[in-house]
Amino acid sequence: MAPKDDFGFSRRDFLKTVGVGGIAAGVAGPPEAGAQTAAVGPGAVPITLTINGKAHRLEVEPRVTLLDAMRNRLNMTGAKRVCDRGACGACTVIVDGRTIYACSALAIEMQGKNIRTVEGLSEGTVLHPVQQAFCEHDALMCGFCTPGFVTATVALLERNPNPTAEEARKALDGNICRCGTYSRVLEAALSAKGVKRG
Amino acid sequence: MASWPSSPTLLGKSTRRLDGPAKASGRATYAYDIRRPGMLYARIVRSPHAHARVRAVNVSAAEKAPGVRAVLPLVDVSQPDAAKAMYQGDEVVAIAADTEEQAHDAARLVTVDYEVLPHLATVEQAMRPEAPAVFPKGNVTQGSLEEEGDLAAGFAAAAHVVEGTYSTQVQTHSCLETHGCVAEWEGDRLTAWVSTQAVHATANGVATALGVPQTNVRIITEYMGGGFGSKLGPDFEVVVASKLARQAGKPVKLMLDRKEEQLGTGNRPSAYAKVRAGVDAQGKFVAFDAETWGTGGAGQGAGFPLPYPVYVWTSRRRRHRDVYINAGPQRAMRAPGHPQGSFITEVVIDELADKLGMDPLELRLKNLPPEEPNRMWGKYFQMAAARIGWSRRHKTGDPAPGPIKRGLGCAANRWGGGGSQQTRGHAEIHPDGSALIRIGTQDIGTGTRTVLALIVAETYGLPLGAVKVEIGDSRYPFAPGSGGSVTIGSVSPVARIAAEQALGQLVAKVAPSIGADPLALAAKDGRIFVKDDPSTGVTWKEACTLLGTTPIVVDSQWEKGLSSVGTSGVQFADVEVDVETGVTRVKKIVCVQDTGLIVDKLTAESQCYGGITMGIGFALYEHRILDRNTARMVNPNMEWYLLPGPSDIPEIDITLVDQPERGVVGLGEPPTISTAAAIANAVANAIGARVRDLPVTPAHVLAALDRQREGGTL
Repeated sequence: MAPKDDFGFSRRDFLKTVGVGGIAAGVAGPPEAGAQTAAVGPGAVPITLTINGKAHRLEVEPRVTLLDAMRNRLNMTGAKRVCDRGACGACTVIVDGRTIYACSALAIEMQGKNIRTVEGLSEGTVLHPVQQAFCEHDALMCGFCTPGFVTATVALLERNPNPTAEEARKALDGNICRCGTYSRVLEAALSAKGVKRG
Repeated sequence: MASWPSSPTLLGKSTRRLDGPAKASGRATYAYDIRRPGMLYARIVRSPHAHARVRAVNVSAAEKAPGVRAVLPLVDVSQPDAAKAMYQGDEVVAIAADTEEQAHDAARLVTVDYEVLPHLATVEQAMRPEAPAVFPKGNVTQGSLEEEGDLAAGFAAAAHVVEGTYSTQVQTHSCLETHGCVAEWEGDRLTAWVSTQAVHATANGVATALGVPQTNVRIITEYMGGGFGSKLGPDFEVVVASKLARQAGKPVKLMLDRKEEQLGTGNRPSAYAKVRAGVDAQGKFVAFDAETWGTGGAGQGAGFPLPYPVYVWTSRRRRHRDVYINAGPQRAMRAPGHPQGSFITEVVIDELADKLGMDPLELRLKNLPPEEPNRMWGKYFQMAAARIGWSRRHKTGDPAPGPIKRGLGCAANRWGGGGSQQTRGHAEIHPDGSALIRIGTQDIGTGTRTVLALIVAETYGLPLGAVKVEIGDSRYPFAPGSGGSVTIGSVSPVARIAAEQALGQLVAKVAPSIGADPLALAAKDGRIFVKDDPSTGVTWKEACTLLGTTPIVVDSQWEKGLSSVGTSGVQFADVEVDVETGVTRVKKIVCVQDTGLIVDKLTAESQCYGGITMGIGFALYEHRILDRNTARMVNPNMEWYLLPGPSDIPEIDITLVDQPERGVVGLGEPPTISTAAAIANAVANAIGARVRDLPVTPAHVLAALDRQREGGTL
């Protein structure tokens, strides 16, 4: 059951910080959203997200982030929630070719976009070259940051297949690893071979 | 008696983690990722005040809010003395609702009537004679006194004396996966998927807290996202989620958010030391006298070893007091006490070296105890000195022109480790040739799963993938919590012993079938054969078919002789400091570390990378900052609680000293101990002024340079 509009103050504050205009445009934009073009919310609204090439129809309140929509509604738990607010990169996904923090994007705004997550990188049991490189170089310890680092590395190498160490560090600076595997992540990023441009 | 193989096939090599693909592909399922049918989401309402009495809690609006299924008070307002929040973030009431958003909304509807009480935000406030009595047993503990040797005679013999006050900050664990679990009841039996470092301790503690038999509680930890000592259980979150789940009759997920994690799930206590230390004219440490204090917030245990027990002092005295303040309580954090003690001691030593006009490495070498397998500092210092190029070290204060100054520093570490004799293990070999090892330990990112598979596969002469490893379940045979670097020393011997016993039973079946003496048989390369006549034998699969329908099942226990207690290492740092901005960049860290018998070189090296990286954070960035007026944490997040990132990591040069005769030795903690001390000494060597307080922030560097101009710290 969706909550009624009892708590408007907090939701409006939240929407303000992420930009209400974008949400309205996002809802009105794609044809999957249906004929409804009036203001949406506060209850759940139907949306369609295209994740790893597959369309997912779901109902979420406008305040639900892409990360929570994936994790709590679609059971796609590869992207992790760590810092809650766009500081650590554990929820990194690739949207229309650019990395974004899924914790800081509203699901409703992500309609009509091409969303790629860590789940879409391997084909069956065949790992993506970046995932393979992470395993070979032990660029993972507890593994909680790993999906975010892998995704950020894939995005880097699709843009720039032969980065310098400095470029790789810069590209991964939005991600945090508390176990401290950075040295190995960098080795993996610089050694992954055969990454096609996305 | 069990022993390690003299010429292993798998052990000691660089082997990829078994669970690498699961982690890299996002398929690894952590407690945070568990979803159960009908699962509710929980939130905890917490005190915004550092010290307050909870007079009343009104949950009537929250209970009526959409989706709310359970409300659980966490303070008893009928007990005014106990109904107190002792720090910002102390728990007041918990709520479970159908969706996470509904739980958030309902939590906002709870109104709490707080009587705000006087609080203590800093150790200085708490130690004032006129400080309000906030803690029942006093704000400052009576203190403990350690004394050895004749201090007066020591100072009388001293040619040079250093005096100063040194400090280290509060560091938070900052586990990426926050504390929490999913709890589910089936009748009177509880299953909880928990982010923990200790499945058994959690099961026992939660059962006790809930008043249910320990047999009815099962804790599962397939994967967990970092603990560093803060998840040694039993965690409060598990008890709360279990109670909510029982109340609602549905599974409940309670995972803390980042702010909660930073406020209340543990930290490394601060350390302060007023030190007077003396060295004689020949460079012998003759006296160390210290008044020390520190705070673990609203919790006990801010002790740290001092002088750090690597070097020999002919006389020493130390009085320590714990100070309580209204902040989140400390919990064990990676080598508790050691980085603090190491920093203070090693900086004092460098100051003594300067007074004496002696190279600080030479001074250290003069004051080490005799070499033993677990204390090889002298040898390691020389190895590391060669690797960093110590011969190019200039005297304190880089004479080079320009604002960028370069410097070198060093420090030593030691750790206990060992293994728990309570550890048990279970091995199976099945008629189809499949093999299993099952131990109730957990892999907290250290590679335990891989280590167990390597040991059993090595024993059977099978490839790594042939062994199934089952860990992370409190129903499995007992193993201790993953703390104190004892995991490898606990589970490796048990795995080896269980596998040797299981193999012995298999060999006993094979021997008569090929007309050989069981003692003459070996298992290698997927075969069991006569050692002196390798062509006589059977494949592993053929051997296992001899079992008929009955698998081999072995339960074994820990024995001495396969692991060692005690380890040592050193680290050197090469840094660059901009004396105009105060910014320090670490250029290189050299690490030489005793690793005993290396099981997996790849994951052993990763432990060193990880410890050093956390040490860089402690040295330069990490700092729990409390507002000195409100005692609220200024940086309970990952923007302003600064953790090292990819661009902060220098070249790291690791030498693992393989001493297979020592058996396995734990490696989780030692590599993080001496990093900050080595960096601080390198900074002083660069800028010619002492930073006596961690973290070495630009502000601390510039202040040290200012003091230097005014008459100096050196």
